Amino acid sequence: MEKKTVNNVRVGRFELLMDAGFGAQKAGDILIRAFARMGKYVFIEPMIPAEISPPARTRPALSGVIIRVAEFDLENIGNNTDVILASHEVVLDRRLDDEEHNPNCRVLLDMGDKALPTSGYDRVMKRVKDSGLSIYPFEIVPEAQTIIRSLAGKARNMYYLGMLGCIYNAPEEFVINEIKLTFGTKLREDVFKKNIDLFHYGYQDARDNVPFAYEVQNASGKNGHEKILIDGNSALGMGVVDAGIKLVSGYPITPASSILHTLAKVFPSSGGILHQAEDEISAIGTAIGAYYSGVPALTCTSGPGLSLKQEFIGYATAAEIPIIIIDVQRSGPSTGMPTKTEQSDLLPVIYGSHGDNAKIVLGVYDIVDCFYAPQLARYLAEKLRLPVFIMSDFQTANSYKVIDKPRIFEMKDSNDIDDFVLDHFGLQRLPEPIEMVRTEQAVPGTPGKMRRITGLNTDQTGTVNYFSKASQRSHAVRNEKVHCVQRALKKPELFGGREEGDVLIVGWGSAKGAVEEAVSYCQNQGLAVGGMCLRFVNPLPLMLKEIFSRFKKVVTVELAYGDPYKHPPLAMILRAETLADVQAIISRVTGRPITPRSIETKVKELFHAGIA
Amino acid sequence: MPELHEKAPAGAPLTVKDLNTENPRWCVGCGDFGVLMGFKRFLVEEQIPPHETVNVSGIGCSGRVPFYVNTYGVHAIHGRPITIAMGVALARPDLKLFIHAGDGDALSIGGNHLVHGIHKNFNCVFILYDNQLYALTKSQSSPTTRKGHPTNTQPQGTALDPIAPIRFALGIGASFVAATADWLPDHMVNTLKVAYAHKGFSFVHVLQRCPHFDPENFDNKTSAWFSFLTHEKGIPADKRLADKTEIVTHDPTDHEEAFRLANSQRAYFGLFYRNPDKPCYDAMIRQRIVNAKPMSRAGILDSYKI
Repeated sequence: MEKKTVNNVRVGRFELLMDAGFGAQKAGDILIRAFARMGKYVFIEPMIPAEISPPARTRPALSGVIIRVAEFDLENIGNNTDVILASHEVVLDRRLDDEEHNPNCRVLLDMGDKALPTSGYDRVMKRVKDSGLSIYPFEIVPEAQTIIRSLAGKARNMYYLGMLGCIYNAPEEFVINEIKLTFGTKLREDVFKKNIDLFHYGYQDARDNVPFAYEVQNASGKNGHEKILIDGNSALGMGVVDAGIKLVSGYPITPASSILHTLAKVFPSSGGILHQAEDEISAIGTAIGAYYSGVPALTCTSGPGLSLKQEFIGYATAAEIPIIIIDVQRSGPSTGMPTKTEQSDLLPVIYGSHGDNAKIVLGVYDIVDCFYAPQLARYLAEKLRLPVFIMSDFQTANSYKVIDKPRIFEMKDSNDIDDFVLDHFGLQRLPEPIEMVRTEQAVPGTPGKMRRITGLNTDQTGTVNYFSKASQRSHAVRNEKVHCVQRALKKPELFGGREEGDVLIVGWGSAKGAVEEAVSYCQNQGLAVGGMCLRFVNPLPLMLKEIFSRFKKVVTVELAYGDPYKHPPLAMILRAETLADVQAIISRVTGRPITPRSIETKVKELFHAGIA
Repeated sequence: MPELHEKAPAGAPLTVKDLNTENPRWCVGCGDFGVLMGFKRFLVEEQIPPHETVNVSGIGCSGRVPFYVNTYGVHAIHGRPITIAMGVALARPDLKLFIHAGDGDALSIGGNHLVHGIHKNFNCVFILYDNQLYALTKSQSSPTTRKGHPTNTQPQGTALDPIAPIRFALGIGASFVAATADWLPDHMVNTLKVAYAHKGFSFVHVLQRCPHFDPENFDNKTSAWFSFLTHEKGIPADKRLADKTEIVTHDPTDHEEAFRLANSQRAYFGLFYRNPDKPCYDAMIRQRIVNAKPMSRAGILDSYKI
């Protein structure tokens, strides 16, 4: 082997590509746990096929992980990949289509079974070379192949884990410790030993034969905070527990189901009920029934389920029953791409249902927001007696990262909400009391205050009233609830502190990490570029128009479809609300997250075209 | 805020007057009046505290019932009262829960929920107000409209044979199935009492007249067209009609015989089936909390520590 090049980097990104069902995510999970324990910051994004077991060696079978590792806190999965390890040429070929590799990306390709015709390998290796990337073909050493055969072809992920562990300089004992924690009690002793042996063979193979390595400093311990490694949906689930929500009602739908899975294990221990309903409509109905009975409740879903819930959402608004809805957005319409990310439920959430809509819509920035959002949602739902949406997405739901352990509040009552949570989301405490359509809002079981609720229009006493004044008043009262949140919204953070300039980049929800990083790239190059990312998308902060007026050009970046004839949702809303000529510079539906570099490129195009 | 209803003095027995609210806005002669009166009488005879009672309804003429009973109530959306009631049952097992749904609500738009309400066997009394058509929307065919009956959507006559609600409930595995009619007040009160005493999803089918859109249906002047099912553990025949029609002794534990009766062309009022041993989903789910090792919320993130 030529002399090994060791790259000392502050941040790196690599990926492992395999066929579905062969444990790429498991290997990635083990490796990032080892990194995290060593003191590195990690961010992992799984690539999950839409089917359980698509045929091996086909393009739909691609299943893998993208891992970003750094000595500083990571807000997103980053731009491009430095190292790809692919278990065969078909998944590699498929992944190269996404064009997320660095120009100097190094590709390790398992040449696999010699019995296969080499033409496929040759074609893909040529593609790699033609793209200017370096290719490193390798073969699993014969001793390891024997073990893999004895395990019916499984466990090659442990070999790759060994290779990647070595390339990223993870001491073997750290990784083996994580393998033990993952498999120790689940595998027979001899099978477990074979897995460890495969890991060692892979590690040795990379040490002896791969001519490069990466070194990232271990720095996460430096701020002195306790760390956790958690994914977005688990953070939401634990946030639901901390918010004192006692009933979660859902129906299986990717990518929201894992919230139910997480809660199914822990919820009863904290007095919570996890209910799997017969359909999406029933799921929200049951949550509404529980909240009506005085028990905080929530339902979680994704786009198609959101459509089915819309009638009940309008009902909850009219009947003044608090309800929290988590929408983990995926690529639509219809079944779309259920394992790909998108932000395209914005319009159906804000304007869906029927008639006039009064509701609160909150987009989460990241995994930390996922943990705190249920508390804020509960506070708002109970104070306003309106539907409150927590908008997440596939990317946020399924990414893991190392974060400082969030504060736990053990919320008992919505009045308990801590200033920390309100500050975190940029909201002032709401004024009290907030006027309701009906004066009496007693919970069943309260003597002498019996009342009937309905989706019919009523007067203050709750009596059905179809007359003009009562209807006008009901609408005004419901909307005033939203307006009082609008008045309580603080000015959104302007990244890099830039309050005026040529271009303002605006995103919402999970675009935050990419927008913030893109703004820093641009500002470091001396460009007068500002940026913000909205958490509250309904209502919008009042001062947006004024902020927008201080930039020559306001642009959005969002994962929803747009073209020159069609503004994507965020741009459409911002235009309507501010009358600023907001245009989207990223409005794509590729199923891949927004990258900071792609934003930077688009912003620079604006400058080159003289638009900014 | 004006006081809508006079409250009974604390400790005084509940009377029908305590349960009255506004005057119902139903048509003259509507069968819903009979069901409403029977339901109030039942609440009074059982002395069920109004503040612990929740009536949940869907949309339609019968959907208005909760407004007319001074308890807690939810007038929900079309077809979905069972879903709301499921939430009440899971959240608050202390409440007395009644679901009021029409034939369109229960068997058409909300059919899926009825399947699963019966299957989950959560504790409530489910009253199916079956007037065999959509009335509030002005006479359209429903799943129980008799074949050939003309409606505004099928003026040439309703095309299909109706769904038989009793057979449907038995087929899904209901733990309690009974039938009564709006014009049989004593029988209705007794039916509701037996349904209320049953732990589980008590399915009560009520034939309900719609004199406005289908005056010929359900001849309440004669009684030769129906029989009462009675048993020592069942529901007694209606006092006024007991000597005017057939009385069949039927053991409510006999599922096969219940099916045979439900399959016949004749109408039967009384208790078809009761199985007190069928587990209740709501109780089982709540038991999971009791069985779980309590965990302090302070430790919820411990398993994610690095």
